Amino acid sequence: MSELEVPGKEANVLKGHEGAVLAARFNSDGNYCLSCGKDRTIRLWNPHRGIHIKTYKSHAREVRDVHVTPDNSKLCSCGGDRQIFYWDVSTGRVIRKFRGHDGEVNAVKFNEYSSVVVSAGYDQSLRAWDCRSHSTEPIQVIDSFSDSVMSVCLTKSEIIGGSVDGTVRTFDIRIGREISDDLGQPVNCISMSNDGNCILASCLDSTLRLLDRTSGELLQEYKGHTCKSYKLDCCLTNTDAHVTGGSEDGFIYFWDLVDASVVSSFRAHSSVVTSVSYHPKDSCMITASVDGTIRVWKT
Amino acid sequence: MDLDEDDFVFFGTPIEREEEITSRKKKAVAEASGQLRTLPVWKQEVTDEEGRRRFHGAFTGGFSAGYYNTVGSKEGWTPQKFVSSRKNRAEVKQQSILNFLDEDERADLEGQSLGTSMQFDTFGFTAAELARKQAEKEQQQRPSAIPGPVPDELVLPATESIGVKLLLKMGWRHGHSIKDSRPSSLYDARREARKAFLAFSSDDAKAQLAESESVQGNLESITEQPTNDDVQSHQNTPVYVRNPKQDLHGLGFDPYKHAPEFREKKRSRMSGKRETGNRKADSAKDNLFGFKSGNVAPGFGIGALEEFDAEDEDVYAAGFDFVDTYVQEVEEPSKLMTDSKPKLLAKETGVLPGFRVASNSDYQLERFDPPVIPKDFVPCHKFPGPLETNYRLADPPPPEVPPPEDNNLKLLIEGVATLVARCGKLYEDLSKEKNQSNPLFNFLTGGNGHDYYTRKLWEEQQKRTDQSRQQVDVKQSSSMRKMTAESRGKILGERPLERSIKDLSSSVASAEGIQLQFNLSDTFTEPASSSGLHEAVKPFKDDPAKQERFERFLKEKYQGGLRSTDSSGSSNMSEASRARERLDFEAAAEAIQKGQWGKESKHFSATGGMQFTSGGVEQAKGTEAEDLITKKMFPKREEYQWRPAPVLCKRFDLIDPYMGKPAPAPRMRSKIDTLIFTSDSAKETKVEETIIANRDFSMLQSDVQGISQDVAIKENEVEVEVENVERPVDLYKAIFSDDSDDEGETTSLNKVENPEKKIEAATTTLNRLIAGDFLESLGKELGLEVPPDLPQSTNMAKTPASQKEAANTNVGDSNILPVKNNPSSTVFSETLNHEVPHNRKIAIESRSDKNEVIHGKLAKSVGIYMETGSTENNLDKVDLEKRVHEDSKAKTPSSRRKNWNSNSSSEDERSRKQSKRHRHRSGDSDSDSSSDHRDRYRSRSKGRKKESSREKSGSSRRHSKHHKHRSRDSPGRSRNDSDREHREAKREKRRKRD
Repeated sequence: MSELEVPGKEANVLKGHEGAVLAARFNSDGNYCLSCGKDRTIRLWNPHRGIHIKTYKSHAREVRDVHVTPDNSKLCSCGGDRQIFYWDVSTGRVIRKFRGHDGEVNAVKFNEYSSVVVSAGYDQSLRAWDCRSHSTEPIQVIDSFSDSVMSVCLTKSEIIGGSVDGTVRTFDIRIGREISDDLGQPVNCISMSNDGNCILASCLDSTLRLLDRTSGELLQEYKGHTCKSYKLDCCLTNTDAHVTGGSEDGFIYFWDLVDASVVSSFRAHSSVVTSVSYHPKDSCMITASVDGTIRVWKT
Repeated sequence: MDLDEDDFVFFGTPIEREEEITSRKKKAVAEASGQLRTLPVWKQEVTDEEGRRRFHGAFTGGFSAGYYNTVGSKEGWTPQKFVSSRKNRAEVKQQSILNFLDEDERADLEGQSLGTSMQFDTFGFTAAELARKQAEKEQQQRPSAIPGPVPDELVLPATESIGVKLLLKMGWRHGHSIKDSRPSSLYDARREARKAFLAFSSDDAKAQLAESESVQGNLESITEQPTNDDVQSHQNTPVYVRNPKQDLHGLGFDPYKHAPEFREKKRSRMSGKRETGNRKADSAKDNLFGFKSGNVAPGFGIGALEEFDAEDEDVYAAGFDFVDTYVQEVEEPSKLMTDSKPKLLAKETGVLPGFRVASNSDYQLERFDPPVIPKDFVPCHKFPGPLETNYRLADPPPPEVPPPEDNNLKLLIEGVATLVARCGKLYEDLSKEKNQSNPLFNFLTGGNGHDYYTRKLWEEQQKRTDQSRQQVDVKQSSSMRKMTAESRGKILGERPLERSIKDLSSSVASAEGIQLQFNLSDTFTEPASSSGLHEAVKPFKDDPAKQERFERFLKEKYQGGLRSTDSSGSSNMSEASRARERLDFEAAAEAIQKGQWGKESKHFSATGGMQFTSGGVEQAKGTEAEDLITKKMFPKREEYQWRPAPVLCKRFDLIDPYMGKPAPAPRMRSKIDTLIFTSDSAKETKVEETIIANRDFSMLQSDVQGISQDVAIKENEVEVEVENVERPVDLYKAIFSDDSDDEGETTSLNKVENPEKKIEAATTTLNRLIAGDFLESLGKELGLEVPPDLPQSTNMAKTPASQKEAANTNVGDSNILPVKNNPSSTVFSETLNHEVPHNRKIAIESRSDKNEVIHGKLAKSVGIYMETGSTENNLDKVDLEKRVHEDSKAKTPSSRRKNWNSNSSSEDERSRKQSKRHRHRSGDSDSDSSSDHRDRYRSRSKGRKKESSREKSGSSRRHSKHHKHRSRDSPGRSRNDSDREHREAKREKRRKRD
């Protein structure tokens, strides 16, 4: 039964990136997706029709992460050039460039109101940038991490960052507290469950760990894939029934959320699966890989 | 305007206004009227008809000079327009050269200008042109060094001005002074006639031969008279004759410019050569006739073809020189090409006049004999061992040096040496490269402890080769044959007696007499671990296997780092348990040692044995539970204060939780503290908590912790100006727990602590266990295969666990006043903080120098508490250290310390960079402050990822490590700059706040 729920059929292959694709993200309604990669471009696709819509070029180095506002009007991207670009989607122009990170920027996210971009950098910091004002200075620098921050998640009132120092830190703006959950293993990527109660953290010991956000409890560990040196994404499916993540051998794994059994795993790419993104509503997933392709998977 | 221009410098064209123009015009008019004429010259200005300044300096004018100095029109050069339609056809304009000429050129062309005519243009172009033409004409007949017509560009014949021509016509000749030196009119007349003739025939100095021949015929009759007077008059204006350049030097280069003697020498050499080779030159040199026929004298006509007498020959002596050089130069290239070999010889023979060949020269080519190959050398390489370690065998053993005083370093060195011996040189190189910046690894590159390291390495290698030899079969019999007594002894497990004795005598200065004594005593014991001493002490009697391992351990330990790699018994154990056991052994060994030195081994074996066995049992249990513990350890949740920026709150549409609260965000500042005082990025939770309490208190808010705070305050009332900073109870316990000689304040409190102790013990053991396999992890990180039994051989904990236990039970932490048992919320009053230290510090200090064991205990217990008290231990530790130093050294007023503490609770967030720097520096200073206390893990220069992975795995180890080895350093030394600096800053801050 669960087999059926998990996407395993290749619906489309999005080709266009020259070189590794480092991230692929659905937009908020799941009709489009964005990808970015080593070829320094950001590409906008319609994954369902397999169409390449637009290319955004301005980054000087590889683009590591991209995020789009809920209203699809703005993009933010970050990459090896230590900058965060704030784009206009339709014109493809860079509205603002945020400089300030002392190292590569690993991840970037908009907040709920698309007024703030929060970036996670190799310089062990999370930085919040204001999109409303014209200031290009960060409005907040969080540097309590002791190693490269790999991933960032935002809720309405919290900033959550996962770092190589093994911690997942939740910065609650509402109460002004920082909650640090030390996992003991470098955290590659974090993603929130759709109900917002759990955090899935991909650790470099080839384990995904599911944390309860309120208590900091380790709920489950998911193993089987290989994740030792790459930044590999992981996420929960739209129903929160499964956990999915890529592997360095080109496989995609699906685990049952509760009993951590591998529900499905198949070879999706010829090389490392760098990024997975699950459709917010449908049972559809995109995966990006070092082999330069983005694949769309459906049930 | 002029005034302005005097003061300022203007760039660009000023925007002209109407009134300005008019005023300028007015001015121009006025000037024209002559009003300004009266000005001195340097004040006058040239203006154009509109009154604008005509000439500008490079800086004052610049762009504004505009086109006035250039083309003359605003547009510059504009192309001509050409419009032609059917109705009005454009007439074809005939362009003339006048269209393109400047005014002055036009004037030239139209003949309006006066100029020198060609003929009289002495130095002008036209005359030169004429002369050239003439030269070209002559070219055909003239013998030339360069075959074919001479390129015009190269040969520019000088023109003869009209004056020269006149002079020549008047009888003057080149090289003659202009005076009438001929009294004889007849002779004069004759001469004049001849001269004139000659002058007409050729004005060139070198006339052609054919002509001269005819001249000779003509003038035969007249030239019978020697031209004596010519000789005299000749000197006045010398004639320069150019020699064609035929050498390989650059133009104008005279190799003999500064060494004319060489020119002479060369000439003589050349002439010598010529004698053998060149007939023609030879004749030119030797007889006059040859000269006459061969090379025409440059000064043609000066009786050149007349009969020569002695004086005449003299006359041409100069000319001779020229010719000679000329010939010689001709010769050179060919000589260079053909006979380069005899050149060397010529060099030797031809010595400069005034010089002679030295009989013995300073310069001698040093030649070395080829290395003597040993007789028994077989030119075929053999690989007797599996590794390359064997070649070391041939090396003379490095002198045995006493291990460095720093026990930590010693351990590290030993460990690295073992690894290197096992993994090969590659490991050493790698770790050298990796730890370049790490002062701890200086011994690799020749720093502190290098000798010891080499020695250890050698020993390890020796050992390994021996092992490999034991394994070798018939193939290696050749190498076996050359076995020395020493190596045989090694195989048999004997201790080389003679060497250690020698060392004992040689290294008199060694402070490690104990070690040597041990060596000695060990020398006489059998290697089979059945020695009296060790047999008597069997701490692990109930576990024979363990006992066996322990004995092996003992043996290894006291053989100075020679560790057997094949500890077969323990191979089935996990690394963690091995490390644990190892620590156990260490403790036991130490206890044994103590017992032995104290001559109370009997007593020891009774009590100690039990102790150890029980400890062992506990350990066994621990190993099983260990995985669980690690699992339990993560995820670890900690909470901190964090202050979001107001703008951030606004953007997130949230209310700033810190709105209206004092600006400094406590979290950040305390973080900086940790960064400064901890060598690594440990996080402080407890401090955080206490800080919160502190802050809350200061704001008169009641909190859960506020209550405890109140308690603290009550106790604190005596010192009013002191701000309260609570210390977690276990820290203070840790600091003063082992002060057994303390005056008992609250002995009953001991019981309260006891439940905690269990946890502490567990965590400590865990700690140490993790610490044990550092080197292995290092090896792994370096990507090398490390044999699994490594950790046993690398790390030794110094203080026995049991001892520590005992110490803990001892802990009459009378001075501690635990307000609450809960470590996270325990609050400590400042009064305690330093009332207690005052009397205790002295004790600590006095002990610190001599009593290592206690210090070890102290440090360890600190480590324990640090573990339990989660993470801020580093800070606290440094704090402790500081405390000790301060009191021991400077008797700093306690208030300052307090301030330091209190300030630590309220300081502002700082920029990241600064904090980073601080952290870095603190790391450095830490390593400075205490040699033991250097962190092995601090190799920041490495890749971040690696580091982080290590960090995370080792973060807990680090603490324990720090403390374990801190014990011996002298407090005074650890006063370091960053600390001081920091305190300065603190004081400053406080002052400001006040």
